[in-house]
Amino acid sequence: MTQNAPSTFNNMLLIAGFECRKFLFNLRGIIALIAFALVWGMLLLYPIQGASTLLMQPNIKDLIDGLLGNQALNVLFDWPVAEMAIFWCFALYLFPMFSILIAADQFSSDKTRGTLRFYTIRTSKDSLLFGRFLGQILIQGLLILLTILATIALALTRDIGLLLPALTSGALVGVNLVIVILPFTAVMTLLSLYANTARQAMVLATILWTVVSIALLILGNQSSLFEGLQWILPGAQLSNMVNTNGLNSFVYAPIPLLQTAFALFLGRVYIQRSQL
Amino acid sequence: MILIQCQGLSKHYGSKKALNNVNLTLESGAPIALVGPNGAGKTTLFSLLCGYLTPSAGTVRILGEAPNSPALLGQIAALPQDATLDPNLTIISQLSFFARLQGMDSKQANQEALRVLNLVDLAEVAQQKPPSLSHGMSKRVAIAQALIGSPKLVLLDEPTAGLDPANAKKIRELVRTLSPSTTFVISSHNLDELEKLCDQVLYLDKGELGQSISMRSSNSGSDYLTLTMESCDSEALIQAVGQIAGVVNITSKQAHVFVIQLDDTANRHYEFETALLTLFKQQHWQYKMLLKGRTLEETLFS
Repeated sequence: MTQNAPSTFNNMLLIAGFECRKFLFNLRGIIALIAFALVWGMLLLYPIQGASTLLMQPNIKDLIDGLLGNQALNVLFDWPVAEMAIFWCFALYLFPMFSILIAADQFSSDKTRGTLRFYTIRTSKDSLLFGRFLGQILIQGLLILLTILATIALALTRDIGLLLPALTSGALVGVNLVIVILPFTAVMTLLSLYANTARQAMVLATILWTVVSIALLILGNQSSLFEGLQWILPGAQLSNMVNTNGLNSFVYAPIPLLQTAFALFLGRVYIQRSQL
Repeated sequence: MILIQCQGLSKHYGSKKALNNVNLTLESGAPIALVGPNGAGKTTLFSLLCGYLTPSAGTVRILGEAPNSPALLGQIAALPQDATLDPNLTIISQLSFFARLQGMDSKQANQEALRVLNLVDLAEVAQQKPPSLSHGMSKRVAIAQALIGSPKLVLLDEPTAGLDPANAKKIRELVRTLSPSTTFVISSHNLDELEKLCDQVLYLDKGELGQSISMRSSNSGSDYLTLTMESCDSEALIQAVGQIAGVVNITSKQAHVFVIQLDDTANRHYEFETALLTLFKQQHWQYKMLLKGRTLEETLFS
């Protein structure tokens, strides 16, 4: 049998591609995709379309400044495409939640039924870990792309002249959202290695975020020295990112990138030591 | 060629010693049997060889490499106990993906997946998903995955457990056919099956390697015969056979099965067999089987 020696990098790409195929070409993935499309369809048609119309009212900025202060959401009015501004506010919080849901079963089910043993005898644990993580990012990247295209289409139905600014904003929003979901997916990679089911991984994620948030809040109140610790939790930068747009949003990119690197490092240590 | 080498291999689960100071060296060639009672440590030993588990102490070398070494990927394969394929994907898509991970291109991988499914007579289920298969078919598909890429070493943990006799026989034939190019290590409770397939037998008990027997050498120039009778008066048979020249001892631990020990000069020209058949004729006793040597069961547990 002619065959080339498998390399970790090639196998990582193969595994990532296979994860995408698994999601897109089986019934569960298609159902998830339909549910996702319906949720975003509703969001685009009602809250996003409605809020973007509201955003273009001349006196709404004064109203928001009056309610939340003049620095809270002032950048929202600087977006060239109102629909993209509202999409940004929703997507910034919804995609991390989708990420936790979608990426919860990266390893847990396969580990429980022993399927991972068929893999580890053929490929390195590194290619398995990073391949599945990359696959999840590709799937979520695709979902982000689809929602951005739908938002652009929504903006164009109002004004066809918005094509160029909508494409530019859409590209920046897309890259930012992918960076935002990275640490959430990486934490789910780690949790799904430990958990026996996807549901257990989601429960662990809920406990993790709740307990760590409370702990950070208590520590932050005890001493200002602990305030910096808030950045260890994925999503800590989201409230600050809402009031940014365009390239300015990238100011916060190092935080999720470092969180991702740390979570994947822990995942790598865990998978190398774990008894699959 | 040394295939597997274990030195001082131990695995503990908390205070329980699943495997304790196992030393063994296995060479490539005929299939090797791993036997032992439940909880003896067979699956633990398999898992250590495959790199699924890390040893608590000692070393394992397979083809000179540590388990999980990149050099071994695709060189060894296993039928892990109770492992199942992803229920959401077709069998062909999973097997061809495994082949791709072993370095084959897409077309080769597809052909290889079909080849191994053909080996276990299951090419017709290629497009089905695992939940639609019976237990026996799932087991055969799992055996098929272990044969992808013709690895040098295949570890089969209870390969025929749950298979009907006809399919169990097919798997035995398959192992026999592939043995010249692949060394199989087979764990099973079916001693008859192992006897038919394997030469070297490793006996594990309570995590320790009790015996390592070569069936061929233990039976070559053998001083033992195993006699199975249709029906007879056991007492009378033992007495009558015991009087034939050259018989050192005759024992019976199972109904109608007798192990006869001969002195080493007694059986050079079939004098004993001739005398035995003459005795049967005189007594009108019907025999079922006369086996040179002892069965694996007798060898291990006598």
